[in-house]
Amino acid sequence: MKYRNDQIREALAAEYALGTLQGAARRRFERSLKEDPALRRLVTQWQERLAPLDEAARPVAPPARVWRAIQQRVAPASRWNSVGFWRGIALVSTTAAVLLAVSLLTLAPRRETMVVVMSDAQSRPAITVSWQPRQLGDKRLRVRVIGHQTMDPETAWELWMLPPGDRKPVSLGLITTHETQTVVVPAQLQEAIDSAQALAMSIEPEGGSPTGLPSGPVLYQGQCTKL
Amino acid sequence: MADPDVIAQLMARCALRDQRAFGQLYRHTSAKLYGVALRILRRGDWAEEVLQESYVNIWNHVEEYSAARSAPMTWMTAIVRNRALDWLRRPRFEHGSEDYDLLVEAVPDEAQGPEALLALGRDARALAECLKQLSGNQRQSITLAYLHGLSHGELAQHMREPLGTVKTWIRRGLERLKTCMETT
Repeated sequence: MKYRNDQIREALAAEYALGTLQGAARRRFERSLKEDPALRRLVTQWQERLAPLDEAARPVAPPARVWRAIQQRVAPASRWNSVGFWRGIALVSTTAAVLLAVSLLTLAPRRETMVVVMSDAQSRPAITVSWQPRQLGDKRLRVRVIGHQTMDPETAWELWMLPPGDRKPVSLGLITTHETQTVVVPAQLQEAIDSAQALAMSIEPEGGSPTGLPSGPVLYQGQCTKL
Repeated sequence: MADPDVIAQLMARCALRDQRAFGQLYRHTSAKLYGVALRILRRGDWAEEVLQESYVNIWNHVEEYSAARSAPMTWMTAIVRNRALDWLRRPRFEHGSEDYDLLVEAVPDEAQGPEALLALGRDARALAECLKQLSGNQRQSITLAYLHGLSHGELAQHMREPLGTVKTWIRRGLERLKTCMETT
């Protein structure tokens, strides 16, 4: 259902944010929100306007059992996206995939190489990325897409690096579905990428994330390994 | 309260399924959000339930945050508020007006309303100034609805006025609030 009249849209957005839009009207409004970005913006504006009222709410530490219950519900049955994954616990399949990646590389012998095997949620290797650490100037990532993969129309694949510590992800640019490709590392990231903890790939709108941070689902990820 | 940039960065890492970042996000924000849930629900066990649902929801939808273009706490608070309102309005939890009279009287701290906000930041001051310019009935119905999740019907019973009157207070009050905040 579309709300065409501006005054009605504004009034509904306000009462939705206030909490007085209820029952069937609230559910209908929520359905419209999903497909109407302008309406979502009106709601966001109202939420921001009223938000200072929450600043007066007294913070109360919730009992510890709440966090335990949340953890149980978000922790995956498999280990692929557990904390350990990011902190360096190697998966058996990753080891196998690293060997696969090494076999895919055509490198001068005895040179150090950074290798990332990015896997999907089932730990199946999907993309390998490798580069020469400590090489500055013309630094390139060799990207290999495993198997024949397709990208949905009007989307883009964006590659991200996760710096060490708790800093936010940094974009390395867009990649394609081509089996072999190279990505030129932006000058300001040439040193930082050698100490990256992990790489990830997210699905973004055409042209890449509008926000500078991953905004779509993360399809593949993998930790950086020095060989 | 943690720095909004810190919260936004933690959320970006949560979007990459970093569970440690999620733990930090919880540590930084849960007391605030539990406070919001408690204020609306008035019962610890319900507020715990809603908080748990909300964080699972935040984890599952955190990648949608950047599209929301709002402050990170506003985005998370909206999730908690919506969950709390849904909880309150499940048919078996409908309150009688007497309950609400008691509840509202039992919480004098938030009845301070606009004055308490003056001590806070610039946005809060603007809101407080504009709330002051509303009529008493408009201000009271809007703040009770927001702070305690009262419905039109519950407000009408609590304020002992016809439903239509209360609806008009809220509608006109919100219109005036917007006009006022756009000019300050």
